[in-house]
Amino acid sequence: MPDGVDERRALDFLAELVQALALSTDLGKTLSMALGRIADFMQAEAASMFLVDPVSGLIECRLCVGPVDIVGLKLEVGQGIIGRAVAQNTTQIVRDAQTDARVNVRVDAETGFVTRSIICVPLTTGEGPIGAIEVINRRGGGLFEIEDAVLLETVAAPAALAINNARLVDSLVEQQRIRRELDLARRMQKMLLPKRRRGKFPLIGINLPAHEISGDFYDYFDLPDGRIAFVIGDISGKGLDAAFLMVRVASLLRWSGKDGLAPAQWLARANNESCQTLNEGRFVCALVGQYDRNDGSVVFASAGFPPALLQGAKGFETFIADGPPLGILPDIDYGERRLTLGDDALYFFSDGAIDAREAGQQRIGNEGLRDMIARHTGLAPEPRLRALIGDLKRMQLADDTTVLLLQEPRGTAAQILLDLPFPARAEELRRVRARLREALDTQGVGPELRDRLVLAVDEACTNIIRHAYCGNCDDKITLRLTRERDMLAFELRDEAPAVDPEKITSRDLGDCRPGGLGVPFIRALMDDWQLEPGTDGKGNVLRMRKRLHSDGDTETNT
Amino acid sequence: MNNECVSETVGDYVVVRLRGEVDLSWSQQVRKAILTALGATGKVGVEMSEVSYIDSSGIAALVEGLQNARSKGQQFGLVGVSKAVMAVLQLARLDRVFPIFPDLDAARAG
Repeated sequence: MPDGVDERRALDFLAELVQALALSTDLGKTLSMALGRIADFMQAEAASMFLVDPVSGLIECRLCVGPVDIVGLKLEVGQGIIGRAVAQNTTQIVRDAQTDARVNVRVDAETGFVTRSIICVPLTTGEGPIGAIEVINRRGGGLFEIEDAVLLETVAAPAALAINNARLVDSLVEQQRIRRELDLARRMQKMLLPKRRRGKFPLIGINLPAHEISGDFYDYFDLPDGRIAFVIGDISGKGLDAAFLMVRVASLLRWSGKDGLAPAQWLARANNESCQTLNEGRFVCALVGQYDRNDGSVVFASAGFPPALLQGAKGFETFIADGPPLGILPDIDYGERRLTLGDDALYFFSDGAIDAREAGQQRIGNEGLRDMIARHTGLAPEPRLRALIGDLKRMQLADDTTVLLLQEPRGTAAQILLDLPFPARAEELRRVRARLREALDTQGVGPELRDRLVLAVDEACTNIIRHAYCGNCDDKITLRLTRERDMLAFELRDEAPAVDPEKITSRDLGDCRPGGLGVPFIRALMDDWQLEPGTDGKGNVLRMRKRLHSDGDTETNT
Repeated sequence: MNNECVSETVGDYVVVRLRGEVDLSWSQQVRKAILTALGATGKVGVEMSEVSYIDSSGIAALVEGLQNARSKGQQFGLVGVSKAVMAVLQLARLDRVFPIFPDLDAARAG
């Protein structure tokens, strides 16, 4: 340590440097200042800081103070005192540079600077040395002492930490930049999907990318003859290249289908075009079709796309692909499917949906999808699609997932069968059940189903009284029963404080203990149910639905 | 049919006779009658041939009775279960959990 300098001064100096490094917002400036202060404090003629360039592996001078500017000087690891300090991760002390074999005298030769003594300490991090700090020549010709080396080591630790932190921040910033750009790409891609049409439009699609961007797409557009054309597609592979290809194929399919070419020819044309432009084993699974709202006819053709699912009153029908995917072999003749939609629903799922799996289980497959659709049959097309997507999101999706639904929205107004306000008291329930039985009898609902529906509504009322109103009171519950075609809708409105649907407790029916049966009953007896806040956030609305089969009775999934 | 809950002793057997529609408005009364009967004797049956409706709160009272009896090694069964009650027991998958007897004689014979 320099003569006449006490430990107190050294400590003050260190504390100040550590603080400056820790608080630095401009590390370059702070390090430069620090290096100057170190040189002054240690009475050195020159000081420099070298950092290892992670790309080249060379050690480069990034900062220096003193008579000779060596910023930019590059050394190999292991070369000279600096190279040794980094390679061995140890402090190097040179008392007589002119005779020490470790010293690289090239710089002296080039600059005329005479190096006499050196202390060099590595900048060490958890992952090893990232550079070194060096001080040269005690002013006035004296020698550096061991204490000087200790002091420099003490300064090197926070400097290394600060540099390392700054590098981490830089890589974080870079990651964020990439994320922002992917996000932008995702939004751009989303803009390519058709806008949801207002009013009663028969097609709705949803695309759920597995990552930021998707290799799936769907499209629909009006044809000059008034029919509606639709497209759904899935590019093989995923990631950026699939996403770029998706943009190209989506526009190819729209372009080749805009004149209303029959789906089989439409695919054939797109296939020939794809064979010329796709490469490196890429291919595209796509389904194209047209729907005529005047006569309800649908015609579609599938190039390797997963089976289309038609859900009608009698259950499901599956339509497998009519030919291989686009872009593999030219001059393919595709088949075509023709059907009358009526009130049925036609689903097109990309294989991301079919490959979805519950945690640790098999992929749900077509059968799982059918079960899933069946669970939400009671809902109108749009909420049904949202519910399906909700179910899929709860699973593990490994691939982009897209659903396109073709169904005429139900047009007729619902018929009101019962509109019954009553005080929220358990004694009222008997009368409510009697009124509900009567109303269901007028609809030809069989006694067995009727009693089950009455039970479900009664359980719902019981829960409202017990859990929403916290016991009997004179506030109102209103039961409304409506029918729209074969769909019965039960609505219970209350004025109780809002109930969080997530907090509704339930249990498995197989679990034998008193209580908690109300919700399982409702779940087992109704096709679907949902709880929402009332209008203006006041009270709650519970909606339950049950589809009647043509004979007025129906299976229940108990 | 009015709601009714009457307990009757036949030898060492107590039968709790229910009538009407068992729902939230009086299922607590049913629960108490069952637990009281179990406090008085080791063999209890709930007679339900005249029950035209039962909700989950009524079912809960029966389940509590059964669990109570089992924990003390007592007999507990349902007697003359009406079609309406059976439908709900099946729905709750409890139709094989309760001992169910066609009539009082069968129930007393255990």
